[in-house]
Amino acid sequence: MVIPDQQPNLLRPGHAACAGCGLAIGMKLVLQTMGPRTIAVIVPSCEGAIGGVYPNTSYGVPTIHSAFEIAAPTAAGIANALKIQGKDDIQVLAFAGDGGTFDIGLASLSGATKNNEDILYVCLDNEAYMNTGIQVSSATPSYAWTRTTPEGNPHRKKNIMEIMAAHYNPYSATATIGFPRDLQQKITKAKSIRGTKFIHTLVPCPTGWRTPSDISPELSILAVETKVFPLYEVEDGKRYTINHEPRNLSVQEYLLKQGRFRHLKEEQIRQIQMDVDEEWKKLKHRACHSRSKGK
Amino acid sequence: MRKKSEPSFEFVIPISYGSTEVIETGKWGFQKPHTAFMTPPCQEACPAGINIPQFLYLSNEKRQDEALLTILRENPLPGVCGRVCFHPCEANCNRAQYDESVSIHEMERYVSDVREYEIQDIQPLSNKDSRKVAVVGAGPAGLSCAYFLSILGHQVTLLEAKKEPGGVMRWGIPEYRLPKSILRKEIQRILKLPIELRTGVRVGKDISFDELSQFEAIFLSPGAGLNAPLSIEGEDLKRVWRGGDFLEGINRKDKIKLGKETLVIGGGNTAMDVARSALRLGSTVTVAYRRTRNEMPAIKDEIDEAEEEGIRFEFLIQPVKVSLNKKKRLRITFQRMKLRGFDQTQRPKAIPMRGEFFTLETDHLITAVGEQVDLSWMPKELIKNNLLDAGSTSKIFAGGDAVDQPRTIVTAIASGKKAAISMDLYLRGEDPDVIFSKIRVGNKSSLSMETYLEGRDSGRWPEVNEVVSYQQINTLYFEPSRRVRLRKRHPQKVLKDFSEVNLGYNSEEAMLSASRCFFCGTCNNCYNCYYFCPEGAISFDPVQGTRVVDFIHCKGCGTCAKACPRNVVKMEALS
Amino acid sequence: MKEFMTGNEAVAQAVKLCRTPLIAAYPITPQTAIYEKLSDWEASGKLEGIMMRTESEHSAMASCIAASLTGVRTFTATSSQGLALMHEMLHFAAGCRAPVVMVNVNRLLAAPWGFWADQLDSLSQRDTGWIQFYCENGQEALDSVIQAYQIAEQVYLPVMVSMEAFFVSHFMETVYVPEQEQVDRFLPPIDLPHKFDIDKPGFLVPVVSSELYRKYKQMAQVSMDSVKEIAVRVDQEFKKEFGRGYGILEAMMLEDAEVVLVTAGSITSTARLAIKDLRKQGNKIGLLKLRLFRPFPREGVQQALRGKKKIAVIDRNISLGSGGIFCQELRAALVHSPDHPLTFSYIAGIGGTDVTPEVIQKIALDVIARSEPIDQPMWIMEE
Repeated sequence: MVIPDQQPNLLRPGHAACAGCGLAIGMKLVLQTMGPRTIAVIVPSCEGAIGGVYPNTSYGVPTIHSAFEIAAPTAAGIANALKIQGKDDIQVLAFAGDGGTFDIGLASLSGATKNNEDILYVCLDNEAYMNTGIQVSSATPSYAWTRTTPEGNPHRKKNIMEIMAAHYNPYSATATIGFPRDLQQKITKAKSIRGTKFIHTLVPCPTGWRTPSDISPELSILAVETKVFPLYEVEDGKRYTINHEPRNLSVQEYLLKQGRFRHLKEEQIRQIQMDVDEEWKKLKHRACHSRSKGK
Repeated sequence: MRKKSEPSFEFVIPISYGSTEVIETGKWGFQKPHTAFMTPPCQEACPAGINIPQFLYLSNEKRQDEALLTILRENPLPGVCGRVCFHPCEANCNRAQYDESVSIHEMERYVSDVREYEIQDIQPLSNKDSRKVAVVGAGPAGLSCAYFLSILGHQVTLLEAKKEPGGVMRWGIPEYRLPKSILRKEIQRILKLPIELRTGVRVGKDISFDELSQFEAIFLSPGAGLNAPLSIEGEDLKRVWRGGDFLEGINRKDKIKLGKETLVIGGGNTAMDVARSALRLGSTVTVAYRRTRNEMPAIKDEIDEAEEEGIRFEFLIQPVKVSLNKKKRLRITFQRMKLRGFDQTQRPKAIPMRGEFFTLETDHLITAVGEQVDLSWMPKELIKNNLLDAGSTSKIFAGGDAVDQPRTIVTAIASGKKAAISMDLYLRGEDPDVIFSKIRVGNKSSLSMETYLEGRDSGRWPEVNEVVSYQQINTLYFEPSRRVRLRKRHPQKVLKDFSEVNLGYNSEEAMLSASRCFFCGTCNNCYNCYYFCPEGAISFDPVQGTRVVDFIHCKGCGTCAKACPRNVVKMEALS
Repeated sequence: MKEFMTGNEAVAQAVKLCRTPLIAAYPITPQTAIYEKLSDWEASGKLEGIMMRTESEHSAMASCIAASLTGVRTFTATSSQGLALMHEMLHFAAGCRAPVVMVNVNRLLAAPWGFWADQLDSLSQRDTGWIQFYCENGQEALDSVIQAYQIAEQVYLPVMVSMEAFFVSHFMETVYVPEQEQVDRFLPPIDLPHKFDIDKPGFLVPVVSSELYRKYKQMAQVSMDSVKEIAVRVDQEFKKEFGRGYGILEAMMLEDAEVVLVTAGSITSTARLAIKDLRKQGNKIGLLKLRLFRPFPREGVQQALRGKKKIAVIDRNISLGSGGIFCQELRAALVHSPDHPLTFSYIAGIGGTDVTPEVIQKIALDVIARSEPIDQPMWIMEE
């Protein structure tokens, strides 16, 4: 067993996250792996609430609270400035939520990625605008309840990994809190690569997903094992590696644990299962294809 | 040229340097986690009460010495049990309800073998009130009792009728299942304790029963060394042998010649041992049993291995007469049987079918239809139902195959341990029932010597824990996996001699097997609670390795309790 | 060195001379030549630094602010739509006290579409907390960029240097390009007290209480006000080193003037000519050039216009529903003036329409003829 390091928490306790917050777990794991020689960028979102009010903060690394849609260019500006100053052992980490990545921040993320800016961008995806009170985003999955889609979200979740792959950036990966060592390994790997690294992290939200406060890690494991959120890496936009063979549980096991899906009808669950299976098949094909092509 | 301008205020823009740790978010919650260890079902099912998760954990961490010591605290013969035990632990393993049980049996063997029986000895207690005690019979029960009595600081005299100790382990179980070199090393380790072993001393012949009264407490474990007869005509013919004698001859390395065909009567472990030994002496072997395979009392592993080795089975037949044919071969007359109803032990009853007879011819017939206790030297008050029963006497205790209990090695070992504790309590004038309730493992009959030693002098007994059920395990955190298959000697070589058939695990296989353990009810430092606490309120003491909760910041979300796959963390509502 | 170049190239020269290592930009007519020239030099190694070719102006400003707070000198350039897109980040830059310097090429704002000179784009941003300069020609733009870094890095406020589309940006003139040693002497390396410190982790610009926000805004106001003096001093030091100075205002023939024309930007150059002619015709007319617009040089304006009774402000912009912005600001500065001057607002050059010497003549004669106050702006609609 790897003994967790006895370093002080870089996400200090006393922050205002809801009890059982998956995002706090995600940030904690990422920051811990990044280490103290990191400058972080956070945006208005749950990260902002967790950041704390002056004069106290929970972030243990130098951090800037930038505007909402510009996590990526802010991080890029810092990274380039550090390069100019010759400080190449300091990492730049950008945190944004799903809103700040899939919606309002998509253009700026795309711009930074096409320039292959040397930043590690972690999207903490809780599948809606949670900090402002659970409004739908383009990361909200099909049929999910939110306050702005009270009858269920009629649209599908965007495939952000494919959008990023279309930029041919050196490294992208999905990760989630239920697989903490996998997440840490991916962050460690990303740290060693120059260029734009993107980690799409699923972080369950008890408040927005309408679940009890104690099952966030379990939900994220179920998301992976039901293939709703497969764990994989993409290198240079073309080499796909699946990191975990799912146990192939049916999506129901994941969906019906969450209040935001409790209203789902049979045909909607079937549709979700079909969509999930189709995406998984495509992913397997890409992964196979990458292997057969060699390097 | 450049002037440092306004403002003289410390910072031009607001920058937070303080830590949110000053905010006591622990006040927000209405429940808090606490650690509650539980007993795993394997430990409860093991008659010796071995702390199985602990030894598997230590082995997985490559701390094999400590792993072996964990077992030795409850069972002095792990190398033997790791080969011949019927492993009820595996049948009760929670993982069996998930995919396949953990390979506890093989791991017990691995941990013994890998240290080559050379480790630091277990030290006896310094007992200010050390007494002289006797143990009769150096089989598994007797060796166990002597071992534990010695650990408790008493002066033990161990009397063994034969010229070597070991009992059924030495004279009954064949070499290919239990190499005698292994047995010798295990017994040597036991004898490193200050036990006086006197071999070639038979009670009733070399020493009278009354002479035993010089000891302040006596443990009788003479075993069941007599072979039960078939009670049929022709049983005393020359090539009709008793199974027990046959096995003892093989274990004495006598030169035994068998004919081309051998027939074995019986369905227990002895019958299997006899059949497989006969096979190795070059005979083709058929085993005849009066019920079906399902009712055979032998350990399933033994039956499977016998079948793999090419032994034929004939079921639902019973011998009624033995005679010689014209060529002086044995002719056995069998009657067909059928199952109807149940006997008093709830096993299906075998009823002879009227008029259904047939004969089989063979060169040798070996019977293995049961073992009986030699009661000839025992006082009448110790005999009940043809078994040894010491219940009514005060300073005499009994155990092993001679008493009314299942006849397995580990049950014998457990009875030795129970007797040792009972004798110690008797000598101290304490009530055994009270103490037993404190040292019981789970709700079955196993006792923990480790717990006994902890509370014996201090009077401070640890909490009795509940047993973890499968429903309490959070299986989401375990990847389904299969047991590591045990490697055996090549089938073409296996019958050539009596070399050990099962080859045991190598270090990789052992690590894989140990890591499959759920570690029910104990903490194995998986660090789930540490990883999944949103507040980062859980850490591990760097020296002790124990869990520390920061209650100033714990919001009581309950994630750690749910995320502990082995049910060690429980949430408690605050008053 | 004396050279012949456009306003855009002059600005690019200034950026290179200031050794600005981080430039983030997005192309928009008529700024593109600045971006292209700098890219050229970055590619050939003449400019040591990193060019960030962002996907929008908003991101360009975001990157500049972040890089600034890391402690390096930054630059961006834009115009009209791009500047409007940056609006959120302009407030943010001032709030972060990031000493970013930006050149804005004044171009009209859509809708409808056009590419020609109009000052509304930068004037719309007058509330964002940026220091603003308006330049007459390419030389002034070059010099103002150099001065801008000096000012910005003393008060920790961002500076916008504006020049009009085509009239300045694309107009080729003689420009004296300073020597590198001169600029190195004038401009020391940047030193930011509130930059990121890896050894002392702080959370920059967190959520604050109302009271604290108020305090920081007040502090920023104090810094902004101090620019009036600092800009004057910096300009004087510049003159000593480079031989050219502009002041924050420029007064021409004001001593005995009865009518004063107030202009900013390239219209000033035209007005200089027109004034001469008007004087020849016997009109007692003077000219006040506004160079520094934010902070508004209230005291300077009050002083320059003491005793003047008739003032006409020419605005190449319109704040719909109100009037010309330079005029509004001037009127506000003169509201307590004991002279109670008549101020007249003229809207000329909107959408890049030509402001010829004849137009200025017309305005001057119109003012001279008037004796009654008139509040609303008067539009010059010459074809």
